[in-house]
Amino acid sequence: MSKNYRPSLQIVVYETSQIIFEGLQTILYQSELDCRVYHADTLDHLKVTLENKPVNILITSYMMFLNLEKEIKKIRRSHPLLSIVGIDAGFIQKQSFQLFDTTFALYDSSEQIIHSLIKLDEKNQCLSSKKSEEDNLTDREIEVLTCLVNGQTNKEIADFLNISIHTVISHRKNITLKTGIRSQSGLTIYAISKKIIEIDDFLPDNLT
Amino acid sequence: MFHTVKTSVKPYMKLSDLIDDNPLLLLMLQHFNIDFRVIDLTVSQLCLEYKISDNLFISIANLYNGFGTKENETFSKTDLLQVIDFLENTHVYYRSDKYPQIRNYITQLQQNHPAKELKLIEKFFDEYFNEVIEHLDYEDKVAFPYFITLLKKQKGKSDYVPYSSNDYNDHHTDIELKLQDLKNLLLKYVKIDGDLDLRRRLFFALYELEFDLYIHSQIEETILIPSGICIENEQEL
Repeated sequence: MSKNYRPSLQIVVYETSQIIFEGLQTILYQSELDCRVYHADTLDHLKVTLENKPVNILITSYMMFLNLEKEIKKIRRSHPLLSIVGIDAGFIQKQSFQLFDTTFALYDSSEQIIHSLIKLDEKNQCLSSKKSEEDNLTDREIEVLTCLVNGQTNKEIADFLNISIHTVISHRKNITLKTGIRSQSGLTIYAISKKIIEIDDFLPDNLT
Repeated sequence: MFHTVKTSVKPYMKLSDLIDDNPLLLLMLQHFNIDFRVIDLTVSQLCLEYKISDNLFISIANLYNGFGTKENETFSKTDLLQVIDFLENTHVYYRSDKYPQIRNYITQLQQNHPAKELKLIEKFFDEYFNEVIEHLDYEDKVAFPYFITLLKKQKGKSDYVPYSSNDYNDHHTDIELKLQDLKNLLLKYVKIDGDLDLRRRLFFALYELEFDLYIHSQIEETILIPSGICIENEQEL
């Protein structure tokens, strides 16, 4: 599976057992998943990690949230795109399964564990499919980009292309999402590198 | 950021071992004005020698080691004054070390390669650098003096300039985003033939800068600003 297809996964493991964490980390890093793994061993630490890192998957066990089911709900509320995976240590009660998006058992093989995470990830891909198209601007986006690096405002672009300002803004968002470049001057350099525009139009005399 | 084994710093750990695990801690020592010859000192011994509280030192060291600041951690006024010193030292590092170094690499690169994009990269960097200087000036001249007055003041109504932590965050985000743009342009788009030594040095410098800027804003957002707000609230009572 190519890296372009799968954006990197940010996984946090909330688990007090060092053995389980390190084992899981090894399995994840040795797999085909393009991922980054963080460890949280207290609830506070978990919350800080979720605040500061772009985490998409939380792996934890029911025991970590024993009598703290409310906390899972709180986490879901503040991080709606986060998927939560439960580790089934063999004595899990049925009703606890519904707390998690998916589960795997402690005794599963590494292939089974990775498989369950890939399936979960594929589901999430649909939500952010734009990100994986990367760097393939549509003709319309190229038009907007050209206007943009020519210094036109959103309003001017909207009038020029006969579209609404709202549409211009949404094109701009997609351009940034696809190229990874936000600033106007950065986009100018991008457009020149991609030969969308001619460089000589953008070099002031004192630079040539 | 680019190390995967993380050590949570404890008072009894030896500095030399910690630096071995994460050499970026040297940057932290420098910002604290601590000499690199740490002999066999443990964290608490070193803190005692340099009159820094264990709590403060460990909180910042853990940021460098990739952890977040613990919630509800409280810092004394002395701690916070030292935090400001620390941040001022990071400013010196940006101004007189990191940015000139990066600027220098970009100039060399531009001289070695005729690609006109590189002139634009140079211009991009200069514009970005000016924004950074503006932000550093703002912190040095407005934000930090405000905090210092707040920390040294006795109880009672205050007469300081109203100051908002949102100003802070806007600036930071902008600085981080432009740096991200620069990295993406060099990693994905601008074509340069060869010159890998110079380009690697440039990348390393950019990543070092990014790392320290990130820690810098973490310190402000998770230590300085929350503590400042607490003190303000106390004083209003």
